[in-house]
Amino acid sequence: MSTKHTKAADRFIANKEQETWHNETLWMVREKRDRMAMAIPEWEHLRELAAKVKMHTITHLDQYLEKFVSNAESNGVIIHWAKDAKEHNEIVYGILSENNAKKLVKSKSMLTEECHLNPYLINRGIDVVESDLGERILQLMNEPPSHIVMPAIHLKRQEVGKLFEDKLHTEKNNSDPTYLTRAARQHLRNEFLTADASMTGANFGVAETGDVIVCTNEGNADMGTSLPKVHIVSMGIEKIIPDLKALSVYIRLLARSATGQPVTTYTSHFRKPRKGCGMHIILVDNGRSEILGNKEHIQTLKCIRCGACMNTCPVYRRSGGYSYTYFIPGPIGINLGMLKSPEEYADNVSACSLCYSCNNVCPVKIDLADQIYRWRQNLDSFHKADKMKKMMSWGMKFLFMHPALYKTGLKFAPVVNHLPRFMLYNGLNDWGKGRELPRFAGESFTEMWKKGKVQTKNK
Amino acid sequence: MSSKNDILGNIRQHITDRYEMPDIDIEGIQYPDKIAQFIEISKAVGGDAIILNDDEDINKVIRSLYADAKVIASNLPDITIATVNPDNTADPHELNGIDLAIIEGEVGVAENGCVWVPQNVKEKVIYFISEYLVIVIDKKDVVNNMHEAYDKLTFNDYGFGVFISGPSKTADIEQSLVVGAHGAKGVTVILK
Repeated sequence: MSTKHTKAADRFIANKEQETWHNETLWMVREKRDRMAMAIPEWEHLRELAAKVKMHTITHLDQYLEKFVSNAESNGVIIHWAKDAKEHNEIVYGILSENNAKKLVKSKSMLTEECHLNPYLINRGIDVVESDLGERILQLMNEPPSHIVMPAIHLKRQEVGKLFEDKLHTEKNNSDPTYLTRAARQHLRNEFLTADASMTGANFGVAETGDVIVCTNEGNADMGTSLPKVHIVSMGIEKIIPDLKALSVYIRLLARSATGQPVTTYTSHFRKPRKGCGMHIILVDNGRSEILGNKEHIQTLKCIRCGACMNTCPVYRRSGGYSYTYFIPGPIGINLGMLKSPEEYADNVSACSLCYSCNNVCPVKIDLADQIYRWRQNLDSFHKADKMKKMMSWGMKFLFMHPALYKTGLKFAPVVNHLPRFMLYNGLNDWGKGRELPRFAGESFTEMWKKGKVQTKNK
Repeated sequence: MSSKNDILGNIRQHITDRYEMPDIDIEGIQYPDKIAQFIEISKAVGGDAIILNDDEDINKVIRSLYADAKVIASNLPDITIATVNPDNTADPHELNGIDLAIIEGEVGVAENGCVWVPQNVKEKVIYFISEYLVIVIDKKDVVNNMHEAYDKLTFNDYGFGVFISGPSKTADIEQSLVVGAHGAKGVTVILK
């Protein structure tokens, strides 16, 4: 019954110390989020509004997109539309070629990760530089992010220190975070100054004004876009919100939910290109418009990518982002992966204890756990139901429909208590792995009842 | 254009129910003393905020705070200690190496220490590339929360604006907080 998730999780938890650190650190972020939320009396009202405004916007997305585009265009921004990842990547490369750009500095964007943009551009001779510290570390290691907000959360400082010794020629055995961050600052400052073009994602697109909003703590999106002559924004179509009034609701929720900060250091509003420069926005569908027609999973389109569902998830915290087979891990990633391809990503749906904590922290109230439950119910329709579990449930159904057989079975069940360990705890019994089995009672409740052994307390 | 039509067509085809826009007028958190709260939260996010008294000279105050700053950029008329006027640079790349930038903000937000800076210099890079940053705002322009702030926002022809709350920071190495990732290593807001 092991899935790709459980196998990968086994590898993660083999390092007990790191697993504990990962679990406790993310829980600390969750606690910071709680303190922030509790300090705002209208917090729950904000969540409710944020959920409703998103439902309204995504179900009027045609109208809001046209409004956004018309406003952005009158601000001098060039709009591109991409149906899928391939078209997105071609547009980016086209813009870079037109501008004769060889070096592209990027700030964090999960959408470009989704589109596999970096390898596409690198294959065509573009020097692609990630500028978020965590993303840069992973780019130098040639690894993907393991969390959507804290991409390098699975790494220890010594690993980063070693990497920087090799790549940035830092001092031997110096893994002090301040020292390493300063080294990266210096290294990336040079990249910013020599970039030909910059690229950002978008946290929000405001239909009323055509603004693109980008939130960062490091200031990398701002350094990147303030120097070269071209700024490319890669934006999923679901990022649109109606107006600045609505934006105030999301800005109050985003950083508090994500990292437990009152706000990110920089909340940048890009309305027009810099004087004499070009600004491009690529609106990407890549499967999003189809999700609109899926009543059971439409709410995933409300997501503002804060990562709160990962920080609170007991499975994510103890198994790490790389245990999931989709590039976005945790509760939202389980659902987005299934929407992308149930055949390919079904292994992740078991990575959930249905504790519902994600539903309770999500700032836009996505029914994350309910959706995971629904995927599990439908696994058989994707031919992904576990064969052993299927046989077991068929067997149990048969047993429960035949009371005589059930009673006989129950009568002999305590025999199991006396079986030697090797017969119970072996490769065939998944329930005996990593835990002790409960003991069967000598007598069933029905038998005790019949014999008058069941006494109510206050007779 | 065909991708545009395909995407919009696909959206229209897949939308089944259209949900109403809720009433989003919300009263955000209020503070008995907005200025005190603004100063406290500015410190909490790793920056600082100070009140400029009527009898104090802003240039002297900044000098005393940043005694080591040599290259100082500002286009504000009251700032006499500036050595560079960022409006006179031909290329933003020339602004690398600024020790301190002194800029003006328009709205301060008590709930999170944000200061709204609508682009008011020729090259906005000075907000980010300088080693340290001083933002001057009027005490009257401190509001309680982001709803009040967005009601007051102004943009100008530059078409860029940013909320800045404290110094640039990162916790990407082991969640250990380091101030000064790419942008300013320290920010002081002066409330005049």
